[in-house]
Amino acid sequence: MTDQIAIVSNIEEKSLIKKNEKRKEKTLDVFMGIDIGSVSLKIVLLDKNNSIIEKLWLRNQGSPIESSKKGIRELKEKLESSGMFNKINIKGVGTTGSARYLIKSVIGGDIAKTEIIAHAVASLTYYPDVKTILEIGGQDSKIIILRNGVVADFAMNSVCAAGTGSFLDHQASRLGIPIEKFGEYALRADSDISIAGRCGVFAESDMIHKAQMGYSKEEIVKGLCDALVRNYLNNVGKGKEIKPPIVFQGGVSYNEGLVKAFEEALGAEILVPEENILMGAIGAAILVREESERTEKISENWKTKFRGFNVLNLEFETKAFRCQGCPNRCEVVSVYMKTGEEDENGKEKKEIVARWGDRCGKWAVY
Amino acid sequence: MVIRVSFPSMGWSKIAFKGLYRPIPGVEVVDPPVVTRDIVELGAKYSPEFVCLPFKVTLGEFINMIENYNCNVFIMSIDCGPCRLGFYAPIQERILKDLGYDVTIIPIQQDDLLDFQWLEPFYKITKVKGKLMRMVDIVKGIRFAFLKGSFIEDITRYEGIIRCREINKGDTTKTVEKLLKILDKEWDFQKLHQFHKVVKREFKKIPINRDIEPLRIMIAGENHIVLEPYINMDIVKKFGDEGIEVHQGNSLYGWVMHKLHVNFKRKTLERIAKPYIPMDIGGEAIWVIGHYIKCQKEGFDGFIHAYPFTCMPEVSARGIIEGQQPDPFYLPIQFYSFDEHTGYEGMRTRLEAFVDLMKLNRKNNPKFQDNYIEPPEIREIFDIPEKYEGINTFFTGIVEPFLNTLKILPKLKVNKRQHEK
Repeated sequence: MTDQIAIVSNIEEKSLIKKNEKRKEKTLDVFMGIDIGSVSLKIVLLDKNNSIIEKLWLRNQGSPIESSKKGIRELKEKLESSGMFNKINIKGVGTTGSARYLIKSVIGGDIAKTEIIAHAVASLTYYPDVKTILEIGGQDSKIIILRNGVVADFAMNSVCAAGTGSFLDHQASRLGIPIEKFGEYALRADSDISIAGRCGVFAESDMIHKAQMGYSKEEIVKGLCDALVRNYLNNVGKGKEIKPPIVFQGGVSYNEGLVKAFEEALGAEILVPEENILMGAIGAAILVREESERTEKISENWKTKFRGFNVLNLEFETKAFRCQGCPNRCEVVSVYMKTGEEDENGKEKKEIVARWGDRCGKWAVY
Repeated sequence: MVIRVSFPSMGWSKIAFKGLYRPIPGVEVVDPPVVTRDIVELGAKYSPEFVCLPFKVTLGEFINMIENYNCNVFIMSIDCGPCRLGFYAPIQERILKDLGYDVTIIPIQQDDLLDFQWLEPFYKITKVKGKLMRMVDIVKGIRFAFLKGSFIEDITRYEGIIRCREINKGDTTKTVEKLLKILDKEWDFQKLHQFHKVVKREFKKIPINRDIEPLRIMIAGENHIVLEPYINMDIVKKFGDEGIEVHQGNSLYGWVMHKLHVNFKRKTLERIAKPYIPMDIGGEAIWVIGHYIKCQKEGFDGFIHAYPFTCMPEVSARGIIEGQQPDPFYLPIQFYSFDEHTGYEGMRTRLEAFVDLMKLNRKNNPKFQDNYIEPPEIREIFDIPEKYEGINTFFTGIVEPFLNTLKILPKLKVNKRQHEK
């Protein structure tokens, strides 16, 4: 009798294994890259050959936790509508952008890398001989210099926000132009006017002055594009040797006027990748794939920390307090995850996912 | 009225300053508190807007010490050079007078220590006059300051080298804090002369991993910024936690020795930097350039230049370094300019990206491979057994202090791997 049971269970096990194998054959290993910046959230799903399975872009609303949840929900809907939801297996999650650590701990990411490395890696996969990357995003602008396929130098705007996406957005709404048509306006201009680009405040007062002198909107927009390029090259690209091929990415690269202004200033062709705003997310996905391959080579034991799509059902809570340990009085922020279980006293259990903000590292949990 | 004397802290250098003025009769030396956000905000509130950060920090410290510690005399170093440091003391005194505080700031002329103008503050701070104010006390103070200063330099140097190798995270930080506390309370010359043994004994207790070949960087720049951990966001610790061996180009002891014209390390750097910057323009400009070229020759992986926002000499140094780079692989460099902001996010992004850049360089660029030299300090601490057990008065009192001064000479470095080949 017992033997029979054993045989039956054996058969069952075998069939289960076969089923699993079948499912594995059907499923596609994908890597998720999340780029959460100051203005928008970008999610990309890449397969092993770096082709894009699914992509998503949305504006940040509320806290990064909320917008990342919203992003995951939209991604799920998109996957379900295309029928891919059951066919994919998320094998790794990489995060980048300024809120990378928060999102890494909330979603369950495997690595968090800086935007600079992510952008460089993504550009290198599309343009292997790229020598310069210009990146202008919502709140910051960077320049990355590469030689022989390695990052050699980089710089970020550390002081001034003039020339970033937010400033252009603000000026477009002040001029009454939709931001999407900003580039068109600049291309239509006939003559050059000069606008001070050293500082956002000067640029704005200069623009008002030029408008009151009777210049057309097109000319002012073109002058503004030229001024921003000058500011970028003087401020961020100061002292760097800018060699072609040059790749321009980030949200601002949608602006054709700015691309043309860069081409005029640098005297070289500017390449704008097709997925110009998603490059950071693509880079994060590539980095996590490389990381998983490396660990599989060493120990054949790679398991993603991704919480799965049920992260939507989890609730997160942030709490801040002032540490009284020393006169610095650091503001420490902790992120709790509600597990849904209850402890002996009937209170809800909370798990600490992340805690930071202190200077000395006493509280830090990453 | 009791004379309560104090000075800006400048990181751990306050221990040495305290030793300098404590033996003077008729004064009470107040230990300046650790720099915090409140102090920096206080200083920034009453400072001119575009003045350099050390001015704001030291002014904040003065106001804090007047309000909370009842101090009435401050000692501030000035340099009769081309940079703004020369005007710190008079302008700060004027600002404090305008605020209604009746205090004096005594400047120390540190332009050239061999003309002995820096002895004047000793006579100015105390009301004790004539024979009661003995030269012996001054000599005592100077001995304390020199000994303590040299040990602070040792401790901070070992800290940067050992933190990247420690097995249990946090050991080095605890050891350093413990040692500096002991050093601060030590007022016995015989024990102070033996203190380097205590330092080595304590560091020897840290379990380390000696097989790794970490990335090496040099942090140099303006003295106050590099030496004050609150202001530079503890950059030495941050890089150490990332697993990077940090060498520091600045120390109070080295600076004082330089001003006595016996710091031959700095003389070498000056000679190296001569083609790029022919004279001392204030700040650390000439030595930063010297360090940069030297690190490139010694096979370092990166260089950090830290300076206060709007500092003229350091900005000049930055321009020279950026302009002279023949290609970006020369030696990766990051420039950190500090102001009173406390946000760490932008700095962290650049720090992490810089670490990634150096790691990629190690992997892909042959220029940065196989040139790691284990610093001689590691061998000094962990391999060489203690000599001369017990206290020999002649040796510890006369011979060892003399040998200690030899520390300012450049050390002979041996490339272990080349030796084996």
